[in-house]
Amino acid sequence: MTKPRRWALITGAALAVSALLAGCSGGGSATTSTKSDAINYALPANFTPNWILPIGTASHLNTNNGSISHSLYEQLVSYDGSTGKIAWNKKGSVATDAAFASDGKSVTITLGDRHWSDGKPITSRDVEFWFNLIKANEKDWGSYSEGKAPDNWTSFTATDDTHFTITFDKAYNADWMLANQLSYIIPLPQHAWDKTSASAEVSDADRTTDGAKQVWKYLNTAAGKIADYDSDPLWKTISGPYGVTSFTTAGKVQLTANTKYDGGEKPSITTVNLLPFTTTDAETNAVRSGAVDYGYINATDLDQKDSFTNKGYEVEPWTGWAITYMPYNFNNPTMGAVFEQLYARQAVQMSIDQKTLSKVVFNGTATSTYGPIPQAQESDYVSDVQKSNPYPFSTAKAKALLTSHGWTAKGGTMVCTDAGSGADQCGEGVAAGTKFTMQVLSQSGSSVTDNMMSAIQSSLAKTGIGFTIKTAPVSSVLSQTPTCTSDEDSCGWDLSFFGTAGSWYFPAYPTGESLFSTGGSANFGSYSNKQVDSLISATTTSTDPSAVQDYSAAVAKDLPVIWLPSPDYQVSVVKQGLSGFEQDSLANFHPAQWTWSK
Amino acid sequence: MTTALYLARRVLQALVVILIVTIVVFCLLHALPGGPARGVLGVSATPAQITAFNQAQGLDQPLPVQYLRFLGRLLTGDLGTSYTLNEPVSQLIAERLPKTLVLTGISAVVGLVIAIPVGMLQAARRNGAADYAATTLAFVFYATPAFFLGLVLIIVFSQQLPWLPSQAPGGNTLAEVFQQPAGLVLPVATGALAMIAVFSRYMRAATLENLQEDYVRTARAGGSSTTTILRRHVFRNSLTPVVAMLGYYLPVLFGGALVTEQLFNYPGMGLLFWNAAQSSDYPTLLGCVLVISIATVVGTLLADVAQSLIDPRVKAGRA
Repeated sequence: MTKPRRWALITGAALAVSALLAGCSGGGSATTSTKSDAINYALPANFTPNWILPIGTASHLNTNNGSISHSLYEQLVSYDGSTGKIAWNKKGSVATDAAFASDGKSVTITLGDRHWSDGKPITSRDVEFWFNLIKANEKDWGSYSEGKAPDNWTSFTATDDTHFTITFDKAYNADWMLANQLSYIIPLPQHAWDKTSASAEVSDADRTTDGAKQVWKYLNTAAGKIADYDSDPLWKTISGPYGVTSFTTAGKVQLTANTKYDGGEKPSITTVNLLPFTTTDAETNAVRSGAVDYGYINATDLDQKDSFTNKGYEVEPWTGWAITYMPYNFNNPTMGAVFEQLYARQAVQMSIDQKTLSKVVFNGTATSTYGPIPQAQESDYVSDVQKSNPYPFSTAKAKALLTSHGWTAKGGTMVCTDAGSGADQCGEGVAAGTKFTMQVLSQSGSSVTDNMMSAIQSSLAKTGIGFTIKTAPVSSVLSQTPTCTSDEDSCGWDLSFFGTAGSWYFPAYPTGESLFSTGGSANFGSYSNKQVDSLISATTTSTDPSAVQDYSAAVAKDLPVIWLPSPDYQVSVVKQGLSGFEQDSLANFHPAQWTWSK
Repeated sequence: MTTALYLARRVLQALVVILIVTIVVFCLLHALPGGPARGVLGVSATPAQITAFNQAQGLDQPLPVQYLRFLGRLLTGDLGTSYTLNEPVSQLIAERLPKTLVLTGISAVVGLVIAIPVGMLQAARRNGAADYAATTLAFVFYATPAFFLGLVLIIVFSQQLPWLPSQAPGGNTLAEVFQQPAGLVLPVATGALAMIAVFSRYMRAATLENLQEDYVRTARAGGSSTTTILRRHVFRNSLTPVVAMLGYYLPVLFGGALVTEQLFNYPGMGLLFWNAAQSSDYPTLLGCVLVISIATVVGTLLADVAQSLIDPRVKAGRA
């Protein structure tokens, strides 16, 4: 090689390598660009806000849209985790009191002395307006579930402008009714919104079913015009601490403090910028460059925690009011009969080391969960049985459990060699020669989930249970693992996982009617247990506060799903100096609680 | 065959190709098990909500009926409404496409403006120091994935040396995008560097080939300098393969846009397409496929036309 050639090659390579090394060396100085009158909050990656109307269809009413909407229109009963525990946050509610009748069949609500931003008082009529719209359009309402609100509310009676009574179809558990049903209600400005078109006069249109349908349609159509959110007078009459000053279809939202707000959560920061991000990586880059005051990082970035604290951030995990699990398909034509056997489910559960998964795979940002009630927070709902982990990790015991029930290890995999329904046999419906192998259709796109599945595969193999992993986007996982009967083509799935960010986020009162009751809408695996059904029913109708603990204990023992560690909702990074708030386990954000310390 | 007739034939072919693409994509989408309702409405959706969604979106109709309805709406410019973004797909594309075109367009122009002279310079100084240096850099940038290259640029120029923002300009309109030109530097550089790497190699090869031609030898014999030969004769002839490649490179540019948009928080067409695919947002997916198909077909058509303008030998029927 001639000298000039060698020189050129060395120069080129040196340039490239130095650029890469400079890029990989980390570090950098802290950015302190905080302003006391503004805050930049990072919305979840790939989420674009697109709705501010507090009523709407299921595709509109998601948690983050809800947080924005609730900043504009305060809830009647704000029941959330913003005070540090799951409870009624009276400061952020329009109602000041809810008195349940002694028979549990009605509630009388008292409204605070509150006003809309245009100076008109918030009255029982505004609650009745919401009630009428929902009653007439319940099938289109995103929060509707048959038999629940508003089906279980038989009448609305206003006593005066600040008192009204809602009557139920039967007696209900007061905590459940308050936390999971009455919390849906949001007083709406009847004096501004009760019309059937933009040009129509405000009337009592909501008091007829047909009129309420027209008002619903008008409001929902107007809410579809995102570009008009900052200019349409419809959205100027608000009751919450913030109003919209900018709302782009690209997802950037600017909220400005409502100077007429007379509720209990007066905002201290004037301008709240809600920033959309395409990916977590893009958001993390923004955090690193100081463009975000309250954001998040990947759990895997915790290895570099110091690099964020050096830049002026506090790293604060935000736990979710959620559980994470893999449902079994009890109707699978091959494996359904195996899943029906409690000992088999116990063997599977005992093969999963939640503590190690939480520590190693999740970098400490997940909580071991052994039953149907979230365990990342202290609560009165968790039973002692669930807390104590009824099936601790032990592949040796899991293996012994299988071999004592007619299974024999062949080539590393358990095979049923003693079919029958005797106490020491494989169990009813399990044919001789059945191999204990399962396939999970797992959510793709997360290295943490991939690592967890690999770890589970490894520990199940030690028990002699085959476990194969197939991945797909979460929407495909949900589509391809539906509730099914064994004769349907769609019933070939064994296990489903859609819980990278937690499988199920509960409302404040964590009942299981959707998840574990027979025929529940999210009971994808068709789990059915009459005792559990009656316990679930008791959680909503019994006045006994221990009902939910009984349910917790029964489901923890019966294993309708494979319990897995529940990941934190997000690992937050918060600029030093931003304080005054708790991270709401229900995954809502509350800008009115944020404060910059001087 | 006249140029007009040639163009008419190509446009007709393009329409047929686009129609076939929509049929294939439509069938593939609807062949996916389960349908989009559960994915769109989420894990807590009730059966009644899923039924209502399917009815509202016409997903309960037979596939041919759904496709004909799609075509019918398409003729009126209605691409449907996004399941997840709650906006008409045509509006989403109208917002996102210009942003992607700006990003890919500027990247392509910057890339070509640098790649073409670099490639020619390399050929003119073949096996010299400049040639080896440029070749080394081209290989480095060619071999470096766009996401890594972008990440390195962010770390160096946005975090280590806080000269440039790590995010591309926000905002919905092009005016808003151009108000923050500094935000375009890193995403454009990410796209352009890969393009320089690819096209400088093409230009180098094409120039070298032309430099061996008889007409160059004749020009030299006539006393023309190397610079004059390159500028007057070789440049235009060497552009032909580069222009042809540019047309076929359009889908690659769209693919690259996805990475750049993700990395620099710039919601354009690439990201719209990716997210729609992840969330089974059929109307948005079909809209994006339609636009990308049109862009690819138009790109190749323009490349053919440009080729015929650069090189008169490339004519219809003889091309």
